[in-house]
Amino acid sequence: MPRSKWIWGVWSLVLLSYLIPYTLLTRVQAWYGSFLFWTLVGLAVIALNVVITKDFKGK
Amino acid sequence: MTASLIWWSVAIYLIIATLIAWLSRQKKPAARMSGYFLGNRQMSGLVSALSYSATTYSAFMMVGLAGLTYAGGVGALGFEIIYFAGVSLVAVFGPRFWALGKRFGFVTPGEMLGYRYANRRVAMVIAVSNCIFLIPYAAVQLTGVGYLLQGTTDGAISYNVGILLATAIAILFSYIAGIRSVMWTDSLQAIMMMLASTLVVFLVVQGLGGFPALFDRLAAEQPQALTVPGSGLFSLTTFLGLTLPWFFFSLSNPQVSQRLFMPASLGAMRRMLLGFLIFGFIYTLVSVLWGFSALVAFPGLENADLAAPRLLGSDYVPHWLGVIVLIAIMAAAVSTIDSIMLTLSSMLSRDLYANLKPGVSERRQLRVGKIVVPLIALLALGFAQLQLDLIAVLSVAASSGLVAVVPAMIGAFYWKGGTGAGALASVIGTTLFVLALYATGNALLGLPAGIWGIIVASVLFVGISLMTKAPGERAEECQAAMDEVLEKPVGRAARSDEDG
Repeated sequence: MPRSKWIWGVWSLVLLSYLIPYTLLTRVQAWYGSFLFWTLVGLAVIALNVVITKDFKGK
Repeated sequence: MTASLIWWSVAIYLIIATLIAWLSRQKKPAARMSGYFLGNRQMSGLVSALSYSATTYSAFMMVGLAGLTYAGGVGALGFEIIYFAGVSLVAVFGPRFWALGKRFGFVTPGEMLGYRYANRRVAMVIAVSNCIFLIPYAAVQLTGVGYLLQGTTDGAISYNVGILLATAIAILFSYIAGIRSVMWTDSLQAIMMMLASTLVVFLVVQGLGGFPALFDRLAAEQPQALTVPGSGLFSLTTFLGLTLPWFFFSLSNPQVSQRLFMPASLGAMRRMLLGFLIFGFIYTLVSVLWGFSALVAFPGLENADLAAPRLLGSDYVPHWLGVIVLIAIMAAAVSTIDSIMLTLSSMLSRDLYANLKPGVSERRQLRVGKIVVPLIALLALGFAQLQLDLIAVLSVAASSGLVAVVPAMIGAFYWKGGTGAGALASVIGTTLFVLALYATGNALLGLPAGIWGIIVASVLFVGISLMTKAPGERAEECQAAMDEVLEKPVGRAARSDEDG
């Protein structure tokens, strides 16, 4: 799979960022609810970008 | 805070920043547009990352996002994270922008689209549309600085002096060495913004008993702040209306999309993107935690925008740090304004003036661009001084209105059927539509302009393109140029994948 295809991982996370907090997490009134979810999404986005841009070379 | 303390701090900040701007100069002053506005396409990864961060994150974060969290809860984090994920568009479009810029010498994103669609009017229209939305946006940044200085000094530094000061600093940073001095001073400002805001969070959270205590109190006293729609501010419709246009920020806002022409290499672009993402992630969390802390410490404020100032004026934050944060917020506004000024100047000169007067030399374009910089600044200053309601409306409409260019931009790289007429209709139509919608109450069929903008732009672009003849040769030429420049290493990887 070309590295650029991982961008679909990012777009899926964006979709989940609408779906999950507005369905499964609407009643979880704690730090481990939407706060943790969106924080983890942020970290996953960084990781995916590291993978996608791995072939970007040069000083 | 006393006026003299703030004046001294501003003076120290100004001396250091001006010194950095001065050091950023190259031996020979730029004689070409790409030298002055793009740093000769030779910007390093670290400076690009810090500058991209400072330009993207305006004064909105520490004041506005903290306020939004205070008023609406954790939805503010979701809004920022979706926007943040949208910056991944740079990983996809960045190399393509960069390759075409390198091959054809493009200075502005509009110029690139004008060439790709073989229609110079596309570039002209984008320049005008961007000015309509971004000059008011810059004016509102100035307004923020004015109120902040006036508020924190109890009027000792008046609103007018505040906005005049910020305008003068923005012009100074742009003029010393064009984009080079802007990017180097941006870097200093980004570091200031990050250090000051993080330190505040640590002190405040510690004052409130640590992170577990903060979240325990939130769960007990303000439980709705930990969910969406929570108190109701972040209904799904509002959330979509906010996040959709911001998702496309890295393509729609020329002051950041122009940055894709500047890195010295794709490696530098990678460092720019990843550096920004790390900066943005921390800065987002910090700003949201400001809002949460204020919600726990000072519930019941009448105006949520006062959450951040209230926090800074509290006993949790020592005086000296409060002053540094104040300067950092001003720096955040200045770093956004000077980049917008410089980008709009390059667009007015390259995309409007040079197209109205074909054959005009680079040197002359550069001279016009330099004359336009202070004119844009004065226009923003004038708007800020008038404090017209219209300006606030245009500024809020900015994110929705700037989306006008997004379908044409995506089409330029991914759809050979896109046409100049489609791009023109999309940009003009969406600009007028968004303006009309905001003028009449920002809703149509129950949906806000933020959602409509991208729909209208896409329908117009695709619809009109299908009815007109596409410049097939140009599409092929651009594709060939991208393949050639990106041959290694991105192209090679992609091809071997196809082979396998």
